[in-house]
Amino acid sequence: MAAASTSSFIPLKPRPTPRGLSTIAVLKLGAPLSFSFRRPVLAPARLRISCVAKPETVEKVAKVVKKQLALPAETLVTGDSKFAALGADSLDTVEIVMGLEEEFDISVEEDSAQSIATVQDAADLIEELVRKKCA
Amino acid sequence: HRRLPAVIPTPPVSASPFPNPKSQYCCLSRNFSAALTPLLPVQLPSRMETHLWYVVPDEVKSAPLLSKYMELLPQSERDHVLGFRGDQLQKSALLARTLVRTTIARYQVDGHLDPRSLRFKRNIHGKPEVEWETKDGFCPPPLQFNISHTSSLVACGVTMNSLIGIDVEEKRRRTKNNILAFAKRYFTAHEVEHLNAIPDSELQQQEFIKLWTLKEAYVKALGKGFSSSPFNTFTIRVNTAAQESFCLVKARKEASSGIAVETLDSPQNLTNNWQFALLELMGSHYVAICLERQETGGAGKAFPIKLTARKTIPSVEDELVSGTNAVVTIGGSVTQF
Repeated sequence: MAAASTSSFIPLKPRPTPRGLSTIAVLKLGAPLSFSFRRPVLAPARLRISCVAKPETVEKVAKVVKKQLALPAETLVTGDSKFAALGADSLDTVEIVMGLEEEFDISVEEDSAQSIATVQDAADLIEELVRKKCA
Repeated sequence: HRRLPAVIPTPPVSASPFPNPKSQYCCLSRNFSAALTPLLPVQLPSRMETHLWYVVPDEVKSAPLLSKYMELLPQSERDHVLGFRGDQLQKSALLARTLVRTTIARYQVDGHLDPRSLRFKRNIHGKPEVEWETKDGFCPPPLQFNISHTSSLVACGVTMNSLIGIDVEEKRRRTKNNILAFAKRYFTAHEVEHLNAIPDSELQQQEFIKLWTLKEAYVKALGKGFSSSPFNTFTIRVNTAAQESFCLVKARKEASSGIAVETLDSPQNLTNNWQFALLELMGSHYVAICLERQETGGAGKAFPIKLTARKTIPSVEDELVSGTNAVVTIGGSVTQF
């Protein structure tokens, strides 16, 4: 690229393109893109990727639950599984939430904690808190 | 519906013509192939009394009996019981429903004794209540109840008029997390201090469980759901004169150590509306009872809680245990009858 000129008018220079994006486009079109014609589309300034995938979260929650309730590893625990039905009383539930706070590095308000009835409830709450953290 | 697993049936007991002081159900043989023995009525608690009923699941071994209990429940409650994973959880859930239905039925509030006919509802915060039939001229009594259960104990507290919350826990219950870390996260500063001051880890564990049950009992008595009273918004205080006695076993019949609740939004005023009892049951469980204070005995001093405790196997036998080794008051002002 040409060095920047010292004049007040800076001619348009080709912007360095993000790797992969326009390279592919160039290859596809068979001709170099004109940068005055099309700028590569960058993601919006605020990245909106989700930090944790749903099935993974449910699995991690299930693991914490099984550990707290001392359930055999092969116990089937799914999103629908209710904490109470698995044998969790209110002390277990609070301990599970504490375990989830450690696992996901989040902080759960006590009133939210008490409203968790199923594994899915916990996973959803975690994802929301993690999303807020990552944002 | 899935059958509860077969268990060893209890051997038949020969009928005795003499009333057994242990059992109000004299002259009954334990033949469960017939329908459940009709329930014996019980007198309602007076306004100042609290009745505590409890069942020890390990002592209820008869599969036919458990099946009969199941038959007392409406389909929705049966489904709820069967939704629990595993026999032990299902059994204590079944016994909890059975205990509350049979106990309330025995008070014969609406003139008859059928535990099947009782209907329950939840108030707007989710607290279970009896839904009395509103027949002509029938004014439902202000009967209050609350249940708590673990896999090893099922308990039900009953009063006339006083809001009640009870919580039971095994004395030896261990938390997975470190107690002080847990308390710092969920309890108040005063409670953390109280626990921190206990050098012996075993005693500290027990104190933690006592605090937990008292806090649970309070929230359950309030009946507004846990989200309205997070545990770190109120402190359970044991008055200093009673600090030592809180950790020791006191005389069975009467014990006096002050337990009070203080809400963080009004720290200057100990909330006088609620009184507490903490019991050690069968040497193995803590039972915390929280009651709405009905009357005070001059200068704001509360009357002791008048407690009647009965161990029961619904429709089989009752045993009056208040004043015995089975029920030891370890906190609060309680007179056992």
